[in-house]
Amino acid sequence: MTRSRSPRSRNKRRASAPHPLLGWVVKLGLVGLVVLAGFAIYLDAVVQEKFSGKRWTVPAKVYARPLELFVGQKLTKTDFLTELDALGYRRESAASGPGAAAVAGNDVQLHTRGFQFYEGTEPARRINVRFSGAYVAGLSQGAGGNLAVARLEPLLVGGLYPAHHEDRILLKLDQVPPYLVETLVAIEDREFFKHYGVSLKSIARAFWINATAGQLRQGGSTLTQQLVKNFYLTNERSLSRKATEAMMALLLELHYDKNEILEAYLNEVFLGQDGQRAVHGFGLASQYLFSQPLAELKLHQVALMVGMVKGPSYYNPRRFPERALERRNLVLDVLAEQGVVPAEQVAAAKLKPLGVTQRGSLADSSFPGFLDLVKRQLREDYREEDLTEEGLRIFTSFDPILQLKAEAALAETLKRLTAGRGKGIDQVEAAMLVTSPESGEVQALIGSRQPRFAGFNRALDALRPIGSLIKPAVYLAALERPSQYTLTSWLSDTAFSVKGQDGQVWKPQNYDRQAHGNVFLYQALANSYNLSTAKLGLALGVPTVLKTLERLGVSREFPAYPSMLLGAGSLTPLEVAGMYQTLANGGFNTPLRGIRSVLTAEGEPLKRYPFQIQQRFDPGAIYLVQNAMQRVMREGTGRSVYSQLPASLNLAGKTGTSNDSRDSWFAGFSQDLLTVVWLGRDDNGKTPLTGATGALQVWTGFMRKADPLPLDMPLPDNVSMVWIDPRTGEGSDASCPQARQMPYIRGSEPAPGSACGAPAPAAEVMDWVRGWLN
Amino acid sequence: MSKWLVSALAVTALMSGCASVQRGAIPVVDAGAPVSDDERVASRGSNAPVARQPQAIAQDSGVVVMVPGGAASSAPIQSFPASSGPIVGSVSAQPSSNVMGAPVTAPGYPSVAPMAPSGIPGGALAADEQLDGPVLALLTTAQQQQGGGDLNGASSSLERAQRIAPREPQVLYRLAEVRLAQGDAAQAEQLARRGLTYASGRPSLQAGLWGLIAQARERQGDPAGAAEARQQAGGR
Repeated sequence: MTRSRSPRSRNKRRASAPHPLLGWVVKLGLVGLVVLAGFAIYLDAVVQEKFSGKRWTVPAKVYARPLELFVGQKLTKTDFLTELDALGYRRESAASGPGAAAVAGNDVQLHTRGFQFYEGTEPARRINVRFSGAYVAGLSQGAGGNLAVARLEPLLVGGLYPAHHEDRILLKLDQVPPYLVETLVAIEDREFFKHYGVSLKSIARAFWINATAGQLRQGGSTLTQQLVKNFYLTNERSLSRKATEAMMALLLELHYDKNEILEAYLNEVFLGQDGQRAVHGFGLASQYLFSQPLAELKLHQVALMVGMVKGPSYYNPRRFPERALERRNLVLDVLAEQGVVPAEQVAAAKLKPLGVTQRGSLADSSFPGFLDLVKRQLREDYREEDLTEEGLRIFTSFDPILQLKAEAALAETLKRLTAGRGKGIDQVEAAMLVTSPESGEVQALIGSRQPRFAGFNRALDALRPIGSLIKPAVYLAALERPSQYTLTSWLSDTAFSVKGQDGQVWKPQNYDRQAHGNVFLYQALANSYNLSTAKLGLALGVPTVLKTLERLGVSREFPAYPSMLLGAGSLTPLEVAGMYQTLANGGFNTPLRGIRSVLTAEGEPLKRYPFQIQQRFDPGAIYLVQNAMQRVMREGTGRSVYSQLPASLNLAGKTGTSNDSRDSWFAGFSQDLLTVVWLGRDDNGKTPLTGATGALQVWTGFMRKADPLPLDMPLPDNVSMVWIDPRTGEGSDASCPQARQMPYIRGSEPAPGSACGAPAPAAEVMDWVRGWLN
Repeated sequence: MSKWLVSALAVTALMSGCASVQRGAIPVVDAGAPVSDDERVASRGSNAPVARQPQAIAQDSGVVVMVPGGAASSAPIQSFPASSGPIVGSVSAQPSSNVMGAPVTAPGYPSVAPMAPSGIPGGALAADEQLDGPVLALLTTAQQQQGGGDLNGASSSLERAQRIAPREPQVLYRLAEVRLAQGDAAQAEQLARRGLTYASGRPSLQAGLWGLIAQARERQGDPAGAAEARQQAGGR
């Protein structure tokens, strides 16, 4: 328009007025016009280029695991409702539509939202969940047909933001709730559907209002101008910028229709600042304010958001609720005035509270520790730009319910320890990992004693001496040789010293500075005796033990010093979890994973991180080590757990304490949860905590909240349970009062014992072992 | 960016999404199309795959499930090869040849040979080998996906089943089978071995798992190991 019409009118004028002075004016005018036309062409290119190309970059979105629902699933109603609240489900008397839930006794009726997963679409549907105790007892859909399995949409737990931290959830015009467009137009630009980008009427009205008020009260900007300003221009306030803005608005209207411009506006508009993250567009603002998808919003919520356009910080409903409420009601009044919404509906909406969630529940600072793990795994496969700009959807194994329980257990334990032990605890830092032993998936991760603050991620980066956590590797190396070692082999727990290759003398000591004489192999592990363990390790050879450690999944290389046998080597909590995962998973190693799959922004499958395992040990040897590790909990250094947990809950684990109590470790597992806890100071100073008095307490607190399944490894074919006399380790009759069962690799068990009272014949195997030891 | 380049990249992205994606593949996103609101299914048109819920699950039918529908999914679900004994449950109106457990193979993928001929002793499945609701439903889904050539999807559904029932050897059996079809014989063997640790007292299942191990070892160029595994399979 600008380019084609104006030259013609000037040409006419020149023909009618051939004055010589005017000639210069015309010439100058022509030059000016050419410049203007050139500028217009340039602006036109700018407008079109940015608008037709990729308009926005969208950070990758990271999702928690979807909550699976099926009959027999271990899930309490409380945890389920926590999940629903986090997902922004509205509580209603009867679930009316997607994102609504109704609770009646042990029954929860809900209407899921549906979701696109890697392996397919989960439809939005009405389902009924019935709870019984800690289990799901019934699952049906809609009218009442039984449902085998269903899953909720996953919780959005964060994003991978680029440097400018601009975040949005892109939406299409047909996804907006009723009244959003009408309200926006009514409040911001009444003439939107009539003007060509600029509205003289609006400018005149703004001018009138400002003039009568004597100050700048109202801008005459149309929605198109606002979009141009945000989309193409800087925040500078000048007349030339205003002119450019108007020109671009006209050009934009020339090329694109109202709906396209409106859609762009809905996605571009700035609606708040969440820490470092700029919240753009109504799609994200809806999640940020209400934890709900935009399409589910009701009139009062729509009015609040539209009201915020004028000043997202000034009308921030979390910081200035009264101000925001006033603005919202003003917007609602305008809607009634203009007849957009019936007066009764407005009156009802005005009675509603603001309805914003406590904090931005999807704030990227929520779970920084786990997100850090995800980022690191993604950076191995993707470029930074792909992660921050392409809107990828990252599906993870993160379990927000377990995470919250881990955080609570840590906070409560630290509080209790501070009360009991005083000052030394203040400087103690913490790291914690929860994984699924069978799948190797990381479910919760804490990298700091203040888990919501990003920073040094100790779960991944704190490299600390593991102390006695290494001992299961020593005993596993021994038990892999059933002809030499069984759980009831005698070990000598006596003082000794060895000269290392570097000429230094190594003289290990027990924690209690005592020697315990002859002990069973399992007792040495259960009580974490250093002398017998070191002797056993030296007999096996330090390289053999280090090789076992490597087979357990530790890729770090250690020098073959004798002190390695007692855990002088350092590992990160993540590496410890990887090592214990192999012990917990029957000798099958699985690389720990935090990511399940990646979808493109459009929901197309892009990449999977498949479950991979590798058998590293004979299940029989693992069974024996697990048995000894269960004795750690029943009668050894971990026995304090059963003051808080039921005796029926089989658990296996190991305490770890480094020199002078600088590191307090505990690693242990149930059937379904593997948890590693580390406590210590960043400056590597001394703490008043051992593995048992520190990390184990956090571990126990978490397990009590998580209510795991008891450990129950199936008996391998090559293992048999044998009745023995617990004092001698020799075979015993099952009827003897003291007799207890002990697992042995077939062929290594003691000879069956005679009936009680008679002296048991010495087992040949035991003689052989003893001879070998002495 | 010129249009042909955009569309070429889009096609590449689509294809790489469908095919097995290589490690380190760079995601390419069609720049022109704005993403839908969030991930809501309601707003999604072409992406929505066919309904995944099995329309009819033969309850209490052990591991054999009929999946009505197209030819690709007409084979019964068998989480491990059926023995020559009678099949539990209703297997009506389907060609009986399918009942013998020839796995459905997708065009373009190495076919998985049926393992029944390796001398597995006959006999119906024991009661404890029947699968319950969620696992059965997911195995059915996986079978449909595998039938449609979507091995990654099948694998993903099976891993979902594995998370629900981590100690169910039939899930591991199916996962091993899919890995074999994907060409990952080493993982197929490992998964089958993991399955064996949970299959104590279930001889026909053990035989099936050993049969898979034999195939996997053959693929890995280990005929001696394969023969050994086959002997184990035959001995059960």
